Amino acid sequence: MKGIFSWLFPSPPSCPFCGRSRGNFFCCDCCWEELSSWRRDLHPCSLCGRLLPLGEGKLCPFCEKAPPPFIARAAGPYRGLLKELIWEFKYRGRRSLAFPLSQLLGQVLFRDLKGYRPDLLVPVPLSSQRLKVRSFNQAELLASSLALSLGLPVEPLLLRVKDTPPLVDLSPRTRKQLVQGAFRVEGKRRLEGRKILLIDDVFTTGATVGACAEALLLSGAAEVIVLTLATGIINSPPSFL
Amino acid sequence: MGLTHNPGLDWTFWKRRGKREMLLLFPALPLSLAYFIFQELKDKGEFSLPPGVKLPLEWRGGQQAAAPLPFSPLEPSQVRRQISGRILFLEEVQKALMESRAVGAPLEDVLHWLYLQGEIDFRPGVGYDSQGRPICYRCGQNSSIVLGECGACGFVCPSCESCLSLGPSRGCRPLYIFPALEGLTPREEELCLPQLNFALTPAQEDAYGEAKEFVSQGKEGECLLWAACGAGKTEVAYGAIAEALKQGKKVLYACPRREVVKEMEGRMASAWPGLKVVALYGGSPQKFREGDLILATAHQALRFYQKFHLVVLDEADAFPLSADPMLHYALRRARKPGGQILWLTATPSEEMRHMVRRNSLKVIYLPARPHGHPLPVPEFIIPFWGGRLGEGSIPSAVLRCLKEAELAGAQVMIFVPSVAQVSCMERWFLAQIPSGFWGNPWVRGCHAGHPDREEVIGAFRERRFFALITTTLLERGVTIPHVYILVLFAHEEKIFDTNTLVQIAGRAGRHRDYPQGKVWFYGYKVTPSMAEAQGQIREFNRLARQRGYLK
Repeated sequence: MKGIFSWLFPSPPSCPFCGRSRGNFFCCDCCWEELSSWRRDLHPCSLCGRLLPLGEGKLCPFCEKAPPPFIARAAGPYRGLLKELIWEFKYRGRRSLAFPLSQLLGQVLFRDLKGYRPDLLVPVPLSSQRLKVRSFNQAELLASSLALSLGLPVEPLLLRVKDTPPLVDLSPRTRKQLVQGAFRVEGKRRLEGRKILLIDDVFTTGATVGACAEALLLSGAAEVIVLTLATGIINSPPSFL
Repeated sequence: MGLTHNPGLDWTFWKRRGKREMLLLFPALPLSLAYFIFQELKDKGEFSLPPGVKLPLEWRGGQQAAAPLPFSPLEPSQVRRQISGRILFLEEVQKALMESRAVGAPLEDVLHWLYLQGEIDFRPGVGYDSQGRPICYRCGQNSSIVLGECGACGFVCPSCESCLSLGPSRGCRPLYIFPALEGLTPREEELCLPQLNFALTPAQEDAYGEAKEFVSQGKEGECLLWAACGAGKTEVAYGAIAEALKQGKKVLYACPRREVVKEMEGRMASAWPGLKVVALYGGSPQKFREGDLILATAHQALRFYQKFHLVVLDEADAFPLSADPMLHYALRRARKPGGQILWLTATPSEEMRHMVRRNSLKVIYLPARPHGHPLPVPEFIIPFWGGRLGEGSIPSAVLRCLKEAELAGAQVMIFVPSVAQVSCMERWFLAQIPSGFWGNPWVRGCHAGHPDREEVIGAFRERRFFALITTTLLERGVTIPHVYILVLFAHEEKIFDTNTLVQIAGRAGRHRDYPQGKVWFYGYKVTPSMAEAQGQIREFNRLARQRGYLK
């Protein structure tokens, strides 16, 4: 009886983040409000995408000093609900979050990058050791889900040729030193003139995506745009600048 | 016939038992698929692969290269003695052995040797049932299984998201089953008698005796201890626990939340000072310790396998137990075949009530509170004309309730159905009566997402203001000595179902100094839930009076 009733009157789709019912959007109003409320106080740095208080200049202190070879954007700051979701997805292994989180990336693509259309999506690779432990590459899952929505190809072109320890809690300088030369493009593949959208989960100092972008540009890519779920907030120039 | 990760080890085992040939199925398969084929061959003698799976399989036979044993011959039995009645992944076995300081390397081979000896069993974390549908063998659920490329095994591998909080369960992770080893060794009766620093009331004594009988007779598999809110059902469950302990049985006391487990650990340890009481919960320092009496959250019960003769489940109807079939599955699996379950609750589910009505579930009633006064019976307030809440002036019936509470020197808990109505009602009350009752402000709101939730509840406990507006968040667990209850919008049956209304009504009249509280249900109609809640409370009072428990 219950089965017939639920077939006749299916329950409304639920929000993938909190489980409450939602409308036609991919998540409920409450979650969307929480995930997008940062736009009231912050804006992204024009180059690296890290978030600055509204009213401050277009570039962050890092990019003013040394502009990166890519443009990056993120779906929001690494805090609150977004941080919880990334934790659940990446460390707890809730793979089913890949699709709704990729929808957040899609929103950034249309809103902040004015509907930018790359030729190819490339995920940041994971070391084979960590892939074995985690059983999936979160960037690859995000890239595949986003590529499916956009109708674009996704190719895991990058190889991690040097294993690095987890970069959490390391200084920007150490991170940069550790990831230098850690990536290369698979085989001798040339990417002449191709526009690449590089996908990762979190942009912290930009060391990892910077090393990936360098490898892609060396292989002939015309430009590299980085898209991540979360990024940092720059409140004041850090002391080591 | 069996499964292996290391054919050489199998060949060593079987060669020692005089076998001359071993057939292997090639290519090597992910564990979930290999287990499916193994089950099919075992049950039907043939198999067909799950839908969508195409593999060129072939049997290869002949002599294998026997691997030398990579462990001492005593190691498997040492490992086996350490773990009993558990269902664990390899890393958990490792942790369990570390806790008991046993050495266990290379563990996977040691465990496989035990499997070959028939002492333990293993299966994939997530496998396929006989219809080829994925199912999680840890939590028994099939509703949240995700298929995807697995970086660990290199195949498309199912993983379960229902029990993620206990770590990943995947098709390529072996889940080891350690059947329980312990036999029944009766304990001294004195050691098992609970030491209480208060005397049981006649109502509790009767129920205690019945609970003890439930275990000593062992006729029924399941029993419901249906107690009035605040009647002291935990102490009554001690009767069943004491009897089980006396017989040398293993007992699990399961609670829905870790806060309750932590609280119960102290109470149980002082009740049974001569026995080893172990508490297991998310964040507990050790998760695999053995004890005479195990307290655990229902989630931790997922790591037990047919270990306990008696499972006592406290607050069987509370979140998350009420909404999660996985936890019920875990508790039933933790019980030995032929073991017993004692459910403790003031508000059993509709299904349980139905079983009680049909006499298919044994029930022990505890209808009276220790102070011996009847439970406050809810009064219905149905406005005939007007009486709208949230606009205009406060209806006279509501005002009368507030004044009655003020005159009696009581505080008032006002329950509303939604978070939005908490602040809405708070504003409305304050706008209509800016300083009518004691406290400034005299009314405050509180809900699960309230930023100052603890502060507001603390101030209400300290009687710093008169009325607290809240959601069903505070329907249980909060005891205010002298409080009256007012449920607004009580007709909202989706929120205020029978059990919720009984729990809410159970907040009043708990304290022995103020045993006569008042409860009002204010709604635009009398719903079946309101009537049933009132009926249940009346029935408990009638039963208590009939048995002579009331003063």
